[in-house]
Amino acid sequence: MALSRLGARTLRAAVAAIRPRGEGFDQPLDDHVLAEIAAFLPHLPGPMRRAFPLGLWLLELGPPLFAGRWRRFSRMPLDEAQRYLARLAEAGGLLGALVLGLRALTFLAFYQHPAVLATLEVDWAGRAAALVARRAELLDDRPA
Amino acid sequence: MTAPPEHRLAYPNVTDGATLARAATFAADAVVVGSGAGGATAAARLRDAGLDVLVVEEGALERTETFTTDPATMIRRLYRDAGTSLILGRPGIVFAEGRCVGGSTVINGGMSWRVPERVLAAWERDWGLADLGPRAMEPYFAAAERILHVEPNHEDTFGRNTLAFLAGARRLGWPVARAPRSMRRCVGLNNCALGCPTGAKQSMLVTEIPRLLAAGGHLLTHARVDRVVFRGGRAAGVRGRLLGADGRVRGRFTVHAPLVVLAAGARHTPAILKRSWLRARTIGRGLHTHPNAKVVGIFEERLDPWIGTHQAFHIHHFLDEGILIGYAAVPPGLLAAALPGFGAAHAARMRLYNHMLTAAALIEDEGEGRVVLGPDRQPYMFFDLQGRDLERVHRGVALTAELLFAAGARRVLLPFADLPELAGPAELPRIGARPRVARGIELMTVHIMGTARMAPDPGRGATDPSGAVHGVPGLVVADASVIPTSIGVNPQETIVALALRSAERWLDARAPRRAAVRPPARGPSTS
Repeated sequence: MALSRLGARTLRAAVAAIRPRGEGFDQPLDDHVLAEIAAFLPHLPGPMRRAFPLGLWLLELGPPLFAGRWRRFSRMPLDEAQRYLARLAEAGGLLGALVLGLRALTFLAFYQHPAVLATLEVDWAGRAAALVARRAELLDDRPA
Repeated sequence: MTAPPEHRLAYPNVTDGATLARAATFAADAVVVGSGAGGATAAARLRDAGLDVLVVEEGALERTETFTTDPATMIRRLYRDAGTSLILGRPGIVFAEGRCVGGSTVINGGMSWRVPERVLAAWERDWGLADLGPRAMEPYFAAAERILHVEPNHEDTFGRNTLAFLAGARRLGWPVARAPRSMRRCVGLNNCALGCPTGAKQSMLVTEIPRLLAAGGHLLTHARVDRVVFRGGRAAGVRGRLLGADGRVRGRFTVHAPLVVLAAGARHTPAILKRSWLRARTIGRGLHTHPNAKVVGIFEERLDPWIGTHQAFHIHHFLDEGILIGYAAVPPGLLAAALPGFGAAHAARMRLYNHMLTAAALIEDEGEGRVVLGPDRQPYMFFDLQGRDLERVHRGVALTAELLFAAGARRVLLPFADLPELAGPAELPRIGARPRVARGIELMTVHIMGTARMAPDPGRGATDPSGAVHGVPGLVVADASVIPTSIGVNPQETIVALALRSAERWLDARAPRRAAVRPPARGPSTS
């Protein structure tokens, strides 16, 4: 699903505002996160998929209406953009749902990246490989 | 290196709808829509009785040996709408269900509880379901447990989060229930919700579906049923669309069958009935959601929650109040969405991932929602949390937070936007003081039920006590839709037990006709 240039710019700004910072989570993964979000879009329910570009447009042009700021979202400073997103999320409604959805997808893509998992000291994949072999051995050892 | 037996299963007689011509026609004695707990069970029973059975599944056949621990990939492969479904109302409830061969049994935790006796007694007493009492259901639950291969977890699979959960319960004097789970020698990977790569979880993908196929049953994947077709006032098959691997419609199909079994889940089964122009007011009503409120404890010591099994224990001590308490390890990328904040604030919390115990209160809901068709002919779910259910959510969250503090948590994160965190047990009364408003409560569910419920009176339920749709010969339901009320526990075993019971009755009803006419087994034909 291709986004317009405006939509792509808004999405990039949203990812930059949402993604974690500090605490060892400064990996430059915005492109990876954007690619993962793009991979999810075709799987969304039809109405959500069709409304997504419109939602991004509202997010981009919404600050005068929802935050009292005469500035596009993608041109907001980081802390202001975060406050704007938090306010939309708390207000609920369709735009709030869009923010929560983007937040969930951003975090999913970011925190599951192997570099971030290593920072978290989580090795689920390595454990899976070991346990698949372990279970095969256990079942092999069982008396027939 | 040897592989687990589930990596070597054969799946004969499978037709991938994504590879078919633009139009296809099939014929069978019975068509079963959906391959989850109810559909697979019913299909295998019908095949055992000698019927030529075709199972139609919207999702793909995703084999065990291809499962990974990457949530983003597996959610796209195994979940409907990539896990983004929502029950609309106050509050909105995130809903997830499987869309793959094996249905939600591939992505659930394998919990296999029987319906509490007080609930079965209420079905008998209040709903006129005479044969659904505790004694009558006993053999079906026992048979369901054999199919599901129910066993408790071995102690060598317990992680530190399990031990902390147990310690908290012990300090409070709350008895714990060792969870019976659908599994064969679980080794504690804790990847249940993303498909079990070890093959230990005995989902329908590795049990009834391969058994059905080996016995000569057929399976059509990537095929979404739109509606039931009728002939002479009785069900005569289904029509639907073939989907490409990308989910886009690429053709149409028809199945001719004198017995139509709907097992598409409590959201899509009523949608198929409604799209089939059945107008009973009871279709789609009675939605129960068994909502789940997450509570996260943050501990001083490391718990490494990703090491060790999934939900080896539950607390059923408050089940008579409609509250079940459980715990699970959620992958970082999924847990992150449930923690408050953006940017640096969020990072500070996530840094403590290995110190977290994620618990939850599951609420037996009394309120009823509904499934309606939208202008796009797709099902939308509506449910408002109110009255006693709202009170139960608060009570459940308070009990779960109390348990986590008793287990040693320093802080507890709550599912309330206006009360996101408690700094210690002295703050527990703040939950009781919270205004009883649904807005701002974060809930999710994987246990919807009741949207074509069983009742002898067509005015109260869409299906009769055998799961047959009232007034439509040849059309039956075998999924969580038929469950009359919220059962307060995970519904997998109930769905299997009811499918076994119902299949027996459909076969009894069909016996005289089958003796007279026994069509030969026919494989899929395309045109």
